[in-house]
Amino acid sequence: MNRKTTSLFGAAIALGLALTACGGTDDGTGTKSTSPASASSTDATIGIGSLYEPQNLDNTAGGGQGVTEAFNGNVYEGLFRLTDDGKVENLLAKDYKVGSDGLTYTFTLQDGVKFHSGEPLTSADVKYSIEKVTADGSQSARKSSFAVIKKIETPDDHTVTVTLSSKSISFVYNLSYIWIINDQAKDLATSEDGTGPYKLGTWKRGDSLSLDRFPGYWGTAAANKQVVFHYFTDATALNNALLTNAVDVVTSEQSPDALAQFSGNDAYKVTNGHSTTKLLLAFNDRKAPFDKPLVRKAVTSAIDNKKLLNSIWGEYGTLIGSMVPPTDPWYEDLTKVNPYDVNLAKKQLADAGYPSGFSFTLDTPNYDPHPTAATFIKSELAKVGITVKINVITADEWYTKVYKNRDFAATMQEHVNDRDVVWYGNPDFYWGYDNPQVTAWVKQAEESDTAEAQTELLKKVNQRIAADAASDWLYLYPQIVVASSKLSGYPLNGLNSQFYAYGIKKA
Amino acid sequence: MTHANPAGPSDTADPGGAPHSGGAAPAGRRRRSATLVTGCVLAGTIVAVAVISLFWVPFSPEDTSGGRLAPPGPPHLLGTDKLGRDLLTQLMIGARVALTAGLGSVALGGLLGVVAGLLAGFATRWLDDTISALLDILIAFPTLLLAMLVVAAREASLGSAILAIGLAMSAIVARLTRVLVKRVLAQDFITASRTSGTSWPRVVAEHVLPNIWPTLLVNLALQLGLAVLAEASLSYLGLGAPPPNASWGRMLQEAQATVLTAPLGAIAPGVLLVVLVVGVNLVADGLRDVADPTRRRTR
Amino acid sequence: MTTYLLRRMAFLVVSLLLASTVLFLLLRLLPGDPANSLLSVGASPEQIAAARHRIGSDRPLPEQFVTWLGQMATFDLGTSFISTLPVGPEIASRLVVTVPLTLLAFLLAVVVAVPVGFVAAHRSNRWYGPLLTGVSQLGIAVPVFWVGMLLITAFALYFQILPAGGFPQDDWANPADALTSLALPVVTIALVMSASLIRYVRSATVDVLDSDYLRTFRALGSSFTRAMWSHGLRNAAVPVVSILGIELATTFLGAVVVESVFALPGLGSMLAKAIAQHDYPVVQGVLFVSTFGVLVIGFVADLVQRLIDPRLRGTLSRSAR
Repeated sequence: MNRKTTSLFGAAIALGLALTACGGTDDGTGTKSTSPASASSTDATIGIGSLYEPQNLDNTAGGGQGVTEAFNGNVYEGLFRLTDDGKVENLLAKDYKVGSDGLTYTFTLQDGVKFHSGEPLTSADVKYSIEKVTADGSQSARKSSFAVIKKIETPDDHTVTVTLSSKSISFVYNLSYIWIINDQAKDLATSEDGTGPYKLGTWKRGDSLSLDRFPGYWGTAAANKQVVFHYFTDATALNNALLTNAVDVVTSEQSPDALAQFSGNDAYKVTNGHSTTKLLLAFNDRKAPFDKPLVRKAVTSAIDNKKLLNSIWGEYGTLIGSMVPPTDPWYEDLTKVNPYDVNLAKKQLADAGYPSGFSFTLDTPNYDPHPTAATFIKSELAKVGITVKINVITADEWYTKVYKNRDFAATMQEHVNDRDVVWYGNPDFYWGYDNPQVTAWVKQAEESDTAEAQTELLKKVNQRIAADAASDWLYLYPQIVVASSKLSGYPLNGLNSQFYAYGIKKA
Repeated sequence: MTHANPAGPSDTADPGGAPHSGGAAPAGRRRRSATLVTGCVLAGTIVAVAVISLFWVPFSPEDTSGGRLAPPGPPHLLGTDKLGRDLLTQLMIGARVALTAGLGSVALGGLLGVVAGLLAGFATRWLDDTISALLDILIAFPTLLLAMLVVAAREASLGSAILAIGLAMSAIVARLTRVLVKRVLAQDFITASRTSGTSWPRVVAEHVLPNIWPTLLVNLALQLGLAVLAEASLSYLGLGAPPPNASWGRMLQEAQATVLTAPLGAIAPGVLLVVLVVGVNLVADGLRDVADPTRRRTR
Repeated sequence: MTTYLLRRMAFLVVSLLLASTVLFLLLRLLPGDPANSLLSVGASPEQIAAARHRIGSDRPLPEQFVTWLGQMATFDLGTSFISTLPVGPEIASRLVVTVPLTLLAFLLAVVVAVPVGFVAAHRSNRWYGPLLTGVSQLGIAVPVFWVGMLLITAFALYFQILPAGGFPQDDWANPADALTSLALPVVTIALVMSASLIRYVRSATVDVLDSDYLRTFRALGSSFTRAMWSHGLRNAAVPVVSILGIELATTFLGAVVVESVFALPGLGSMLAKAIAQHDYPVVQGVLFVSTFGVLVIGFVADLVQRLIDPRLRGTLSRSAR
């Protein structure tokens, strides 16, 4: 398994560089062999620069993206691990069996696993950890995925049995998001008790968080002695830190502007991985004029997404034409379904009964890149006679006005998670796409017996929503990691904001 | 910051005399008019640019056809920003935004401040004490904090920025007005005119306002410079007019990322800010000398 | 003097109470529910209700106010909505950065501004007098964040001799490291601050130089230096100390811009983030502590003025400013 992962990493690097048109000086394939692992590298301290400071250290109490980045796989481990390229591997679960009804899951735990406090891992801890996510006060974004759990039993210390109320093919995948926490642990908002390769050093709020290698780790020890996450609120300060060697790697570049300083410089390596963050122009599919698929298709075809992507991200980023990023198993290239074609857009508008266009208000979150993209969309749609009124709102207003009250015509939003195409199967979701066929497919997919069947159904969902232009999927963000060229073994895709630090080596 | 300081370098606390070229009169005379002229030229240039931008700019502010970070040269005389927008166009519109913010806050702060100051000036004993104490507390809060609160309450927009800066300014203007009014009221001719039966409103109109406006005007001019800087700071922090509006503060913030590759974008807006603020301050200094040529000392 | 102290203390406490009450009401009247910022896309109505209940935003305003007053009385700054952690300790950890930053910048500004302002006034007939005045005129017109940007570009990115930002993880355990990271921010603030201070020092000096008593002393045969030492300085210091108090307070509160330019984990950056997240207890706590700081600085400035200038004793010296 380990070997396979490595080769996938290599492939990702090569692909990244192929996509990086301007990064010509690096020879992507050579990087691994040309950086000889020095003997002292296992004692290195790795500085990681990030824009996402944890709110607190508990991911069921609003810890946010930051704590996922710092702790997932590093401090806490799940029964399963979602690898950087989107595969699900056994982690704390040594093995699992599914009953013939597809409803009973029996997990066997790894032997010899110890929490950082020294307590051994038992099935009671697993039960506690799952229930922590599904509990009433839980703020976990994944809570709803576990509504299918009927009961959790612990026949012995090494075995956990979970019974579901209906079949759920994503259950094992979803479990990779559940941290296994010692059921005796206290103060989880400021401390931790996980089983991961690192234990928490110090958390200096507003500044940094350090993780120290845990000597009693049950698996392969971390390749470095300590990692320190340095937090910044602004991308420029973050880049300056990298330029002045205050940090060794930046988890996710949020602006392409500074990249010129790194991509032409041998001391740094710029890699372009796969992100799952999609920028959406989301229509309110309940209300005229966007209740007509033809109108939505016309708007989609009237906007030159390629040019938009280029003006925001330069040569980075990907066009996807649907909600599914390439890392999801049911991805296919659907950019041709609604091509950029102004004449087609005009014709579709006329067919839909709006030959001279119409006007609508676009609720635009006030932070980048939304206002910029909205300005671009406004000028594009003006060419087909559609007048856009840009209404800039705060994230808070967006939540109330758009997400809760559905009081909008169209809006812009970034959707960060993988496998989230299933939201189109929920007619109550904020965009109000209501297609009974799609809803049924999503439900069947979740209850299917094999991954193949699931993939098949979700592909159909994807094709249908693209054909209906349920939303306009403007582009997929790039996932750009910039690191000192002394570094190797860092994750490139940062899937769902994870950043596994235990493999990082510093020459 | 210091420039956002409501009680900043303007001599609000000491209306009679303070930062000022108080040298010997004969030699100073010529230099003073030079001060006024220099100030007018500097500030006037920016005003002219802002006025021109109302009718003509080289490119549409939304035109992104220039390509990312094009270097200076025709057709983009100063190059383009990271979205391919013409830098010169952005700078011209920025002049308009800066002046709108400055003048808007001065109008708001001046109006509120003078009214409150007149009230406090005529008040006596505990009422006067209370108002003064309130003003002191308000002044202790820098414009920037007040603005952040206003922005949190409303939204990040030019209107919010003007409201916040104007509110903060009004406390300073009010305190100044109060001191000035008190000083006028202490003079004998007021007592005389009150004894002869003149009503308070007439006293205000005939005696108080004419006596205090020169000092007020000078102070408002200084406040204009501070307001421009405050708006720039707010925009820099992302609390001013939201993108895609061009504000110099915001432009500087955005250009920070490319300071080594496209330095002009990180320099030009700052230089224009300095030109405008120095110009306005010089005008204020010059005005002071015109308004109060004898520079009578109060201490 | 005792009566004065007591009155001044009472004024301090009342101001503090008043300011924080106004703040409380202001924050609660803001539109938008802070619970919203706790949740992510996909939250169910039950999760929203639970979040509202946890932070108490579902309770009536008077009830929230009483709870808050009770906390204040016991010096409890409350718990952050967002992080669920107590506010007090975090403020304390941020002060470790903000207080030294403010004081160092202030000291540097004074050390630069006092002699320069004096020379600018005393030597206004030489070529460098007006030059210094002109430079300070320029200095007050420069936005502080721009100064910071330019200093970072020059000293951190180009020459690479000082860090571009951040603060050591172990705070002041290694004072040299801490001082190095504060170097550029301190210079940035001091540059802008001294520009305006120079103007005050200069005008105060001009006032003294023009004064009748100084002329009298000189006419009586006292040397300039002696006259200046024995009377001039004391008289010039009174308005300057008052301004110094205000400047120090402003720098302390206004560090938000500089902290954001230099990515320093201070009080200012804490406040900026809390405002963006509608985290009322944090906003309230930070503003409470800073208001307290500002009032204390004003108190000290008043006291120093009275010690310097006996004429002020016996009045609540506010009117003298």
